Amino acid sequence: MSEAFGNFATRVRSDRGWWVAIAAIALALIYPFIVETLQDLPLVGDFVPRTGSMVVMLVFTMMAVGLNVVVGYAGLLDLGYVAFYAAGAYVAGWFASLQFAQVSFHFGSSVSNEQPGIHISMWLVLLLAGAFTLIVGILIGLPTLRLRGDYLAIVTLGFGEIIPQVVRNADEEGIGFDLTNGTFGIAPIDSVAIGDFIFRAEPNKDDLHYWTAIGLLLFTVFCCVRLRDSRLGRAWIAIREDETAAAAMGVPLMRTKTWSYAIGAFFGGVAGAFYASYKAGAFPADFFFNISIFLLCMVILGGIGSIWGVILGGMILGYLNIEGLATIGSKVQDAGVEFDPTKYQFGIYGAIIVTMMLFRPTGLIPERRHKIELEEGVHDTPFYDVQTEGSLTDRNPSDE
Amino acid sequence: MATPVDNLLVADKVRKEFGGLVATDDVDFTIPRGSIVALIGPNGAGKTTFFNQITGVYVPTSGSIVFDGTEVVGKPPHAIVELGVGRTFQNIRLFAQMTAIENVLVGMHCRLKGGIIGSVVGRPRVRREEKAARERARELLRYCGLPRRHEEYAGTLPYGDQRRLEVARALATDPKLLLLDEPTAGMNPQETAAFTDFVRRMRDELDLTVLLIEHDMKVVMGVSERITVLEYGEKIAEGSPAAVQADERVIEAYLGRGAAA
Amino acid sequence: MNTAVVVLHRVRASSLIDAFGLLLLAAVLLFLLLKFFEDPVRFLNVGIIGMTNGAVYGLVALGYTLVYGILQLINFAHGDVFALSGLVASTMIISVLDIGTDASVLFIIVGLLVTLAVTVPLFAVINATIERVAYKPLRAAPRLAALITAVGMSFIVQNVSLAIYGVDFESVPPFIPRTAAIEIGGVVIQWNKLAIFMIVIPVLIVLTWFVRSTRQGKAMRAVAQDQEASAMMGIDVNRTISVTFFLAGSLAAVAGLVYLLQFNIRYDTGFELGLIAFTAAVLGGIGNLTGAVLGAMLIGMVQAFNEGLDGTPGGDWTRSIVFGILIAVLVFRPQGILGERTPEGA
Repeated sequence: MSEAFGNFATRVRSDRGWWVAIAAIALALIYPFIVETLQDLPLVGDFVPRTGSMVVMLVFTMMAVGLNVVVGYAGLLDLGYVAFYAAGAYVAGWFASLQFAQVSFHFGSSVSNEQPGIHISMWLVLLLAGAFTLIVGILIGLPTLRLRGDYLAIVTLGFGEIIPQVVRNADEEGIGFDLTNGTFGIAPIDSVAIGDFIFRAEPNKDDLHYWTAIGLLLFTVFCCVRLRDSRLGRAWIAIREDETAAAAMGVPLMRTKTWSYAIGAFFGGVAGAFYASYKAGAFPADFFFNISIFLLCMVILGGIGSIWGVILGGMILGYLNIEGLATIGSKVQDAGVEFDPTKYQFGIYGAIIVTMMLFRPTGLIPERRHKIELEEGVHDTPFYDVQTEGSLTDRNPSDE
Repeated sequence: MATPVDNLLVADKVRKEFGGLVATDDVDFTIPRGSIVALIGPNGAGKTTFFNQITGVYVPTSGSIVFDGTEVVGKPPHAIVELGVGRTFQNIRLFAQMTAIENVLVGMHCRLKGGIIGSVVGRPRVRREEKAARERARELLRYCGLPRRHEEYAGTLPYGDQRRLEVARALATDPKLLLLDEPTAGMNPQETAAFTDFVRRMRDELDLTVLLIEHDMKVVMGVSERITVLEYGEKIAEGSPAAVQADERVIEAYLGRGAAA
Repeated sequence: MNTAVVVLHRVRASSLIDAFGLLLLAAVLLFLLLKFFEDPVRFLNVGIIGMTNGAVYGLVALGYTLVYGILQLINFAHGDVFALSGLVASTMIISVLDIGTDASVLFIIVGLLVTLAVTVPLFAVINATIERVAYKPLRAAPRLAALITAVGMSFIVQNVSLAIYGVDFESVPPFIPRTAAIEIGGVVIQWNKLAIFMIVIPVLIVLTWFVRSTRQGKAMRAVAQDQEASAMMGIDVNRTISVTFFLAGSLAAVAGLVYLLQFNIRYDTGFELGLIAFTAAVLGGIGNLTGAVLGAMLIGMVQAFNEGLDGTPGGDWTRSIVFGILIAVLVFRPQGILGERTPEGA
């Protein structure tokens, strides 16, 4: 594994961006120590986010990076990513809380053995959440990935709507078995812990969760970069470019698309579980359609297919959502204008989406491949046609 | 005593209907192993449609296509590639936003084994496989006349190089049968002659069988051992270049304005 | 032997999926039949509610299907345009015209016509402007780009509604009485429901005439089939697309008013209704006008049966059921009820 990292480093080191990345990571790691100093700065100090806010920003950025695998690499428009976020959160609720008080099962958890319910070490639960969500991703993908782009988008939207509604109603009344505790959600959820050192019980719990979130994000980025440069990553880009040609070169379409879905789902699930642990609960009110669009906006703002772009977009929009708009709002109100930007945040995200698509569709930090279009220009007379298939779906009766 | 002909591809009464239109009209077609065979006919005769049925892009309405002993009808395109059928496209369909070498590597997709976990953690076997794949891709690019184009984006290559890259990509799938769809379209006479030699070289050196769709009669007459002529989806003639050239129906259909053989 | 394998291959995947879908459908129909015989009057009354809702959904569904037919674009913003038009109509009715429950029939009718005279052109223009500003520049771009933009546009329109009207629900006083207009053995059609049909049916007739008989209508159908060929035949494609959006916007405005007569509206009503209407359009066969109306009727009735009969999952699950139908249609029969499986193209 260390050899792998060495090779990863060698490959990236040739990029100037590598040094920027190291600097950014170093800065990020010491952030909790300098945040108060930063907040004392004149003018900009009010805009510096609290460490706790950074945790939320990192969680959503991680989800955006996961979504980028589906939308950016494979080119599939997924409008229902919130379903994976919810699934992850509820897995945490199932395996690290009092929800299933009918049984008592402890594994590697710091929770005392007297507490009923299933309590598994949170680190393991993160993995479980990812695995569960990955399977959900495969199940959703199987019937739907044969559909054409715009229909796929609608269907993912549908799943993104159904799952929160299921989660809201899957209690005694709704289905006869208390799976999700209905509208009340599952709380409290256990904290991340190392032995008896329980993160949430510590006075600097925000800092601890912050560093964990950085670690998770780095893990996500590492995996995505490796995948992008792998055989599967090439298959994704090929499918994104020209599906028919890709199939004619031996790329199995359904399998490859499903993997992008599943892997994107994996990271969404891990992020969701971690966030639920941080917030100490999984509540249906947290999961709604607009979040999927919020994440999509991050990807588009940052740069579709570009990891660093998506991280930038994610941090910017995450910041606006958790603190930024409120801060701007209070400044605006201090100046006498009655305007609350937080109320219109989704309108702002919508405006960002439309503006980017019209004027800079490749995003703030374009993917390396899209850059050549910007720099070298697209040829006037295409040397080749990309023919769109005439059928409503790409469903081939013999497709796997 | 004559040895039985080993046919790599046997198409039996292949029929394709699009609603009321019959694009392929009960066509019988065989390709002997190791041969270079041409499929010609006026525009709209259904040549590419026939190609597409061999490669699984279209499913025949009826009939069967047996490749190297395996029935191919109903199989998805990638499975047919795995069996050993590679192709180029009439309108070049390269992956424009991928480099030349990446295009070729995609062609190798079904011949490589690298999995997800292996790629992420960097298992030695996967890394070795990738290294070997890149080596082979460079070789293929050299072989096809693109020695210094590896890291250039396919969309930025000049036309002739794009055609060459398409062939390299098709060869990367390690085919037994290579389908070339109008490979010399847009080429000048020198390029065309070079390409004709190249086709022969490929067949001889790489142990391939070649089926090509062509309009350029010099190429067709120069390189094919057998020609099949389609018109309105029907097979109207088949045989050696000389025989087909002399066939009345063919002359009537379209050979009148062809270059003198 | 080979032919058997081939036949098996073709039979296996698609037919099994279709068979499952048909089984599901049969089960639902059986259930409904049971319910009918259990309590026919209630069944029919609930059915009428369903059809009334379906009429409204139909108007909105037509907007989706018209735009999809011509641009292959799912105009996400359409539902939100509908909602905004309803909100504006409520302002017209309450604040400007002040139509109350004591108003005379003549005043009501004139008032509604005046409201339409304002909202229809207004939202026709708004809709066409959205197309010009946000979708037209992306006509050459990959189709997903326009779709993403439509999603963004939907949020923008929604927030405009939010900015103007806030989070409150707007409704009009019940100036159309809920008393029975027609009654046959317990089955009732109320005046306010009859009013809806009296508005919707003429609109549908005019629309059908327009699309079938006028030059613009024929141009629309031509562009929907083949943009390039239409352009070569001298059809102004840009204008035709604008006309389509004018039309869709008009339909949305009428739907907004009609919806207002039954329910209350707020800034985010458009989202859910838009999805219901889109499902209806897909169910009936996207691109097919009759299909849109048929699909809308069916969805309206499904919703009504779910909420109005016993033994059904109930209102909490309506959204999931509608989405389930959408997913089922796209997976089992993507061309919908009236659509045709398009050939793969030569």
